[in-house]
Amino acid sequence: MIEVKNLHVSFSNNHVLRGLDIRIDEQMATVVIGRSGIGKSVLLRSLCGLIKPEQGSILIDGEDITMCSRKKLLKIRNKIGMLFQEGALFDSLSVYENVAFPLTYHHLFSREEIDRKVRTYLDFVEMQEFLDAMPSELSGGMKRKVAIARAMIMEPKYLLYDEPTNGLDPYSSAIVEIMIKKLQQELNITSLIVTHDIELTHFIADRIALLERGIIVSLDSRKDAFREDSLIYEHFIKKRERIQQANGY
Amino acid sequence: MTKNESAREWLYAGKSILFVYGNFFYWLFKEPFPYRQTGEQFIRTMLEGFGTLMIGAVVQGLFLAWLGGHYGGRFGAYIWAGTATTFAIFRETSVLMAGTLFASRVGTAFTVEIGSMQMSGQLDALRLMAVEPTQHIVIPRVLASIISLLLLKALSDGVAIVSTMFFLKHWFGIAYPIFLEHAFEFLKPPILTQSFVRAGIIGFFIGLNACGLGYYFQGGAVELGKTTTKSTVINFIYVLMVDLIFQVVLETTGWGTV
Ligand SMILES: Nc1ncnc2c1ncn2[C@@H]1O[C@H](COP(=O)(O)OP(=O)(O)O)[C@@H](O)[C@H]1O
Ligand SMILES: [Mg+2]
Repeated sequence: MIEVKNLHVSFSNNHVLRGLDIRIDEQMATVVIGRSGIGKSVLLRSLCGLIKPEQGSILIDGEDITMCSRKKLLKIRNKIGMLFQEGALFDSLSVYENVAFPLTYHHLFSREEIDRKVRTYLDFVEMQEFLDAMPSELSGGMKRKVAIARAMIMEPKYLLYDEPTNGLDPYSSAIVEIMIKKLQQELNITSLIVTHDIELTHFIADRIALLERGIIVSLDSRKDAFREDSLIYEHFIKKRERIQQANGY
Repeated sequence: MTKNESAREWLYAGKSILFVYGNFFYWLFKEPFPYRQTGEQFIRTMLEGFGTLMIGAVVQGLFLAWLGGHYGGRFGAYIWAGTATTFAIFRETSVLMAGTLFASRVGTAFTVEIGSMQMSGQLDALRLMAVEPTQHIVIPRVLASIISLLLLKALSDGVAIVSTMFFLKHWFGIAYPIFLEHAFEFLKPPILTQSFVRAGIIGFFIGLNACGLGYYFQGGAVELGKTTTKSTVINFIYVLMVDLIFQVVLETTGWGTV
């Protein structure tokens, strides 16, 4: 379980997270939904210790990553995988090398074992035919799939997704969505997805949190979140219609 | 852009460089040392720098030959043209030329590459895999830059001397034996040593400045363009500063002077 309490993050004068609380329960898909620039990526980066918050605590299975040593942090981070915006594949490495990288760098397994694992996870994301391709030769959707395989190869307990469908066409979005769902169901991954994609949210979320003004303003089950009187419905569906109407359409 | 923004950007660039120096020395002595990456970067910087620096060396030969021949003729001292030009190469021009060309060719490539890695989240992805980017990305490039600049400088010294010799003969009819007779007369070991020490130090600064600007990069494509320009400008200034400091040190200690 990941538990965030009173999280404050700011960059010089820009107070991005202002006392955010959220609990990510195990084996569930929690979606944090929020507008662009509201601090979704900042939240994810704080959760894996890439940003040091100025206040608050982040407990991962009971251990506070804001207070621990670097060594301890690295150990806790082993439990966390992250799919960065656009995938963040290493451009100088092939698909195969990208996925194998975390294992080969730390000499965690024998060469054969690494090979077996890389092929297993690339099969899982249906990218087995692109072993030797370079990231620049892949489409946006394919990059995300390879990045998922790379995050999975460390066999994390938690997987954090930063706008996994952003900039993808509906077909690729659907494939990535299904991938996330499959991971969730077949491998029992606990996932936290941040996005502003309402369709993705509807397909995947067990629970939906709304991020506004640096805090979580509502946290509902999927059923409740899509009711017409919910805050999420208000922010992401009605607001759009209202703006359209206000402009005479 | 207002004056203020511009000042802030330069301040940030200065801070980036300061931080990366601390980082570099902190991680340099930690395990694991990035042998393989350093090797890869060495090959890469040699390949990237080679063409540009060799062309630079030929151009250097061209203008030294012209100067040497012209003034040698005016003062009736053709016999000393070889001495003057080789001395100029080792004492001054080759390091300056190699440094500035290396900064524009290889340094900017470092800045753009690491900056876009930062922009696309690749550096964070490394951190998340418990790989320290300073160790994996910065240190290999800085070490490669030192070694490559030393080697490329040595090569370009050779190319510059040969091309000076060639053009002196071609334009002014100074035969090779006459050139060679006095060419290396004043090249005492200290002059060679200081020339290479200077190249090594400049290689270190160029590599680390360029990496630092990329490493702490923030923003999008426009900012990356500006940062790359800063990388060139800052490195040019460093080359000149190192040169100036060496000049003062050499003159006051008498090391490497004739
Ligand atoms: N490293 C940083 N330095 C300064 N400001 C940052 C940094 N990272 C994010 N921000 C700011 O924090 C805010 C939230 O950014 P982000 O989390 O990327 O938004 P999004 O919800 O679109 O992912 C933005 O205003 C952004 O400018
Ligand atoms: Mg974001």
